[in-house]
Order: sequence, then C-alpha cells, then structure tokens
Amino acid sequence: MSKPQGSSVKERAETALKDEFLVNAVKFTTEKLKNGKKAATAEHGNWEEWRERGRQIRAHTIAHLDYYLNQFVDHARAQGVHVHFAPEAKDAARIAVEIAKHKQAKSVVKSKSMVSEEVHINEAFEGIGIESIESDLGEYIIQLANEPPSHIIIPAIHKNRYQIADLLSKEAGETLAPDTKILAGFARRKLRDKFLEADIGLTGANFGIAESGSIVIFENEGNARMVSTVPKTQITLMGMERLIPTWDDLEVMATLLPRSATGQKLTVYMSGITGPRRTADGDGPEEMHIIIVDNGRSLQLGDPDFQELLNCIRCGACLNACPVYRHIGGHSYPGTYSGPIGAVLTPALNKNTEEWQDIANASSLCGACYEACPVKIPLHDMLVYLRNRKVERGYTTAGEKLAMKGFKMLMKSSGRFKQAVKLGQTGQKLLVRDGYIRSQFGPLKGWTAYRHIPALPSRSFRERWPQLDAEVGASLPPMPEAMKSRMESIVAGRKERGTKR
Amino acid sequence: MNTSDPSFLAKMEQQSREQQKRFIGHIANRLGRGGAGDSRKPEHPYRGAPEFWNRYELTHEERIERFMGNWRAAGGHTERVAGWEELSGVVTRILQEHGAQSTIRHDLPELAGLRLEQQLPELAHRVWNGQDPDASLAAAAYTDAGIVLVDDAVAYTGSLVVTSSAEKGRSVSLLPNLLIAIVPTERMKTRLGEVMGRLSCSAGEGLPAGVHFISGPSRSSDIENDLTIGVHGPGIAYALIVG
Ligand code: SF4
Repeated sequence: MSKPQGSSVKERAETALKDEFLVNAVKFTTEKLKNGKKAATAEHGNWEEWRERGRQIRAHTIAHLDYYLNQFVDHARAQGVHVHFAPEAKDAARIAVEIAKHKQAKSVVKSKSMVSEEVHINEAFEGIGIESIESDLGEYIIQLANEPPSHIIIPAIHKNRYQIADLLSKEAGETLAPDTKILAGFARRKLRDKFLEADIGLTGANFGIAESGSIVIFENEGNARMVSTVPKTQITLMGMERLIPTWDDLEVMATLLPRSATGQKLTVYMSGITGPRRTADGDGPEEMHIIIVDNGRSLQLGDPDFQELLNCIRCGACLNACPVYRHIGGHSYPGTYSGPIGAVLTPALNKNTEEWQDIANASSLCGACYEACPVKIPLHDMLVYLRNRKVERGYTTAGEKLAMKGFKMLMKSSGRFKQAVKLGQTGQKLLVRDGYIRSQFGPLKGWTAYRHIPALPSRSFRERWPQLDAEVGASLPPMPEAMKSRMESIVAGRKERGTKR
Repeated sequence: MNTSDPSFLAKMEQQSREQQKRFIGHIANRLGRGGAGDSRKPEHPYRGAPEFWNRYELTHEERIERFMGNWRAAGGHTERVAGWEELSGVVTRILQEHGAQSTIRHDLPELAGLRLEQQLPELAHRVWNGQDPDASLAAAAYTDAGIVLVDDAVAYTGSLVVTSSAEKGRSVSLLPNLLIAIVPTERMKTRLGEVMGRLSCSAGEGLPAGVHFISGPSRSSDIENDLTIGVHGPGIAYALIVG
C-alpha cells in the first residue's frame, strides 16, 4: 500500500500538513475520542486502581509468556483449533496462504487486524489471485483508496465524505450521494454478499485467554462477528503477546480498552470464540486456525527498557493524547502503528536503529501518552531510551555529554510545546500558512526549538546537532524539577544495568 | 472445499508441534529460562478486577434501571414487560411497528411460547435449525427480525450475553436488521465479572464456541465521525425485560 510521499517523518508530516481537511479531521476526531475517554473514566471512577490492575495483569502475563502460551495452545488444540507459529511476518503470510490454497479459496473476508497489516496479508493473498476484502467500514474505504490506516481505531480518519462517495461510487458503478447513510448502506449490502460468498474469514484477536484457548474480539460494527460466523473456515492472526491468563482478567481489559479507545462502557460487540463450531451447531466456522505471530516481539522480552511495550492493548489513547500525532496525523509515521506507540514499537519490532533517529524525534516527550495509557506504558521514557541507544551505537557524531544536553533541550522544547498548545486555535492557525509549516515547536523541529525556518528541510537531526548545541547552550532555561529527576533516574538506571545492548 | 484433507492438517499439525518447541523455547530463553518454557503454573496474585470492585452490587431494581439507561444511551430500545403472558403482545406490536415480514428465532420453548405463528400468520416465521445449517444461515441473512433469549445481561455496561449451541445460532442475533432480545429479570447481573467468573469456572470443560456480549445496535463512526447505525449487525435493537 502506498504511503503518502516523502520518506522521512518530517517530509510526510509536511505533506500531511498541507491537507487542511486532514489536519482538521485528525484534530476533531482525536479531541472527540480524548474527551470521550475523559468522561468515561471519570464516570467509572477509581481509574488509577484499574490502570494499575491492568498493568499488573499484562506485566504478569508477559513475564510468564512461555507458560501462558503453552497453556493457550493446549486448550485451543483440545477444542479442535489448528494452531500455527510464525516467527516472522513472512511465515504468517505463508501459513495463511498455504491454508487458502489447500482450500482452493477464491475470496477471504477480513475484519480489522493490525497484525494482518504487519504481515501484509492482503498482498500475500492477492499475489496468488485470492480476493481479500476488508469488512470494517473504515478499512474497506481505505482499501478501495489503496492506502494504509492512519489511526488504530478510526482508520479512515483522513478521508472526507466526498472522497468516500467517489470511491464507493466507482465500486457501485453508479453515483452515490455523499451522505453517510447512503454510503454506509451501500457498504452493508455489498459486504453482506461478500460475507456469504467468502471461503475464509480472517480475524485478528484483541486477547487470547490462556485458561480456555479462546480468542476475544472487541468491535462496534459486527463485521468481526460476521467473519467468524459465516465462512466455513476461520483464520485468526494473533500477536504472541495478546494473552491474558483467565476470563476474570478479561473484565479488567474490557473495563480499560473500550473506555480508553472511544469512551464506551463496552464496545457494541465483545465476542469470545472458543474453537470451531460444535458438531451440532449450525453456524460458526467448521475449521479454525490460529496463527501466533512473533515478528520482532520477542526482541523486547528480557529487555528492561522495552519489555513493557508488549503490555500494549492497542487502544489508541496515546495517539489521541499526543500533541504531535494530533498535529500531523497517522501517515507521517512509518510502519503499521502510528502515534507514540508506533514511534516506539515500529523501530523496536524492526530493530532498526537508523529509523530511531528519525522517528524518536517525532515526539515532544510531554508525557501525555503515559498519562493516557490504560496499562501505564512509559512511552516517553522509551523514546528517550531510543535516543540514547542511538547515541551508543554511534548514529550520531556527538557523544554522551552532548546527548544529555539533548535531554535538557527536549525538556525545554517540551515546555514550549505545552505553552504553544495552550494558545489553542489561534496558535494552530498560524502554524499552517500557504500550505507550509510555520511551526516554531514540536515534531517538525525534531526536539528542537528553532528561531528560523530551516532553509534545507531535509537536513538530518544529526547534522543539526552542532548548531543546536550552540543555540541551546546560549540560553538554557531551567528544566522542571519533576522532569529533571525522571531523566536523571533513567540515566542512573541505565548505568547500573550496564548500558550497551 | 469445506473441510480440509486430513493428511494436509496432519502435516501442518506436525510442523506446528515442532515449531512450538522452538518458538516458546525462544521466548523462555529471552525471559532467562531454559528449555521449552516454564511448565509450573505461576502465582497469579492479580487475577481479575480490583478487590473493591468485586463488592460492588446494585439492587434488583437498580440493575434493571441501570441496564435500561445504558441500553437507551447506546441507541437501543428497551421496555419492561410484566410477564411472559404480556410478552407475546409486545413482540407482536414491535414486529408490526417496524413492518417486519419475516422472523427467525432460537429454538427454545420460551420463544415458541410467544406463539408468533398464530399472532402474525401473514409473516414468514422460521426457527433456527442446527441440523440444517446452510438453510438456516441463508434464511437469517435475509430475514427482517431475529428473536433471542439471552443467557445473561449486565447492568453496569448495558450488555446482553448470548451463547451458541445447536438451538441458538449466532446468526440470529447478528444477521437480521431488527433484534429482539428477551431478558428474564433474574438473569440480570450487576458486573461483567459475574459472567466472567462463570465462564472461567467452565473454562476447563469447554465453553460454547461463541460467547457474545452485545451492548446496543451495530454502529460505526468511520465516515467523518458521523454515527451510522446498523452497519453489518442489527440497526434496531430491543431488549425486553420480563418480570
Ligand atoms: S501504548 Fe497504551 S495508550 Fe498507546 S495504544 Fe498501547 S495501551 Fe493504548
């Protein structure tokens, strides 16, 4: 799928910022979701206790992932599920294709699955002439547009109704009015036929329950239920870290996930699927496969700085909270995952140190992502680790001293960033003029606070270091105490453990 | 092809078991443990909701009130019906109001007791039949109204719980555009955890293949944040509380 032009985060952000609709849509949507979460968590009450319990359950599961995976697999097999293991993305695609080929499948209908994006399953099916159809309304729209999703929860956040009407009209062979009801009505009819025709249903999984070998899917439209009810064969792609030990733990996840994602008490559908249909059942798949995917996840295990990444429940709250994401939108990030979680997860999964350089800059380190996260993943600290490791691996000419100065600078720019965000609407308007960015803060400047617009926007962060160092050295405002002690404890902690990894 | 060739599955199964050792062994290794993974059940001190939450309880009437409020807020319709005698009339009225031409229902005596065939002889009525799966599924896909009896309901989240069996097709609560769910008051719980606890207890013996929590009509906000009701699943959802 084609990413918007530009190869660096910065270039893509610039492209994105020229699209006024996109800028407003992302702002509006993230604001709406953020407010929804705020209201829902306040109404529920004791949110900190729930967050802490969520963190405990996730951390415990990941710490004993070997045990829980074996338990999950044993129970799933006992229910008649065919379980497969995919160390890498290509293995997952190969296994799915093998099953589809054996079944002489003509079409696969899919519900939303981030892992399937990760392993490029659509391309794999299309490569052997099997039609692969996204059935989530937003995913269906962007599939027709041949674009990747730009938000974990609302993938077509960047398309307006006129663009959607054009896309669907082409599909319908007639002109559809740019009216939500008409457009959604068309998609319902069209996809209903696709569900009934499809040979294979492909789903993701929000959670796997170790004690029963069940998978759990949260959704609002009902398409994941369709995919797991109508076709005769079901394939589920599941990240190996999705597990929770018991159904009791699901109550905690069901409390945290929907409230954090959209502010709902529960998504319209939460389905626990345990094996293929029982012999006497009339619907549900006759054959069920679960493909458990590693694809870089195991690299985080045993790494004290990044193991907590695997606790993520993919709610998208950190995206909505992030002033940078809200400003530049999802396509500015490389890879499947965007926002703060993407900024850490993408390079972590790829172990791509070069990419860190670019992407770790795309954060203001304000800590809003951590505050928003229902399982308390310290994403902002991780961004600092990324930056630090980059220094260690020699991806910058500057040494540790300079990097630490960099930390201070971040804090400074983060303070400015917050201040600027407070200015609100007026400030925002000033940022984009004549389609170009006039921002004095935030992602477009990396962690820095330029006084002038750079003449050569393609200059790398590394190349800017000497100049920045001079600039920062000249006028370094005091770092907020809390930030300072956090930074210091991070660095001390790293020293203690012996840094080079 | 519906079912795979057993030899194909056997081959995949063998590969899977070989791969499992390596895959989970690698995880154990990263976690600083050797072998094919930890085989001892770990202590799980943080199981389920925080302690204080497990003491949260609503009275019978509060539960019903809370459920109805939540269900309406999610865009659903709900009514309280005095008893099974009255229920038949209410269901009939709803079907007429929405101009339903056809119904499909779970194969349960309580629903047969609605006597819809007599009440509305001009409609096409069908009962889910696990023995005739393809016809049942195809019928459900083009039927106006699905009628189900729920296993449980959860007041705090405004959710219904339906499970699958030979008598209770998953399609009935999913494919028709109008859903009518019957909720006997004694099945109304306060917290999700009460349902989870029961599922957890039967986890070892095997659960129904499908356990579905439903919290309102199908919805999407994928087009310009504009709320659309009835994408894929039922757009009109009634919860009728009996008793
Ligand atoms: S990192 Fe936290 S907030 Fe972000 S998607 Fe994951 S769970 Fe949600």
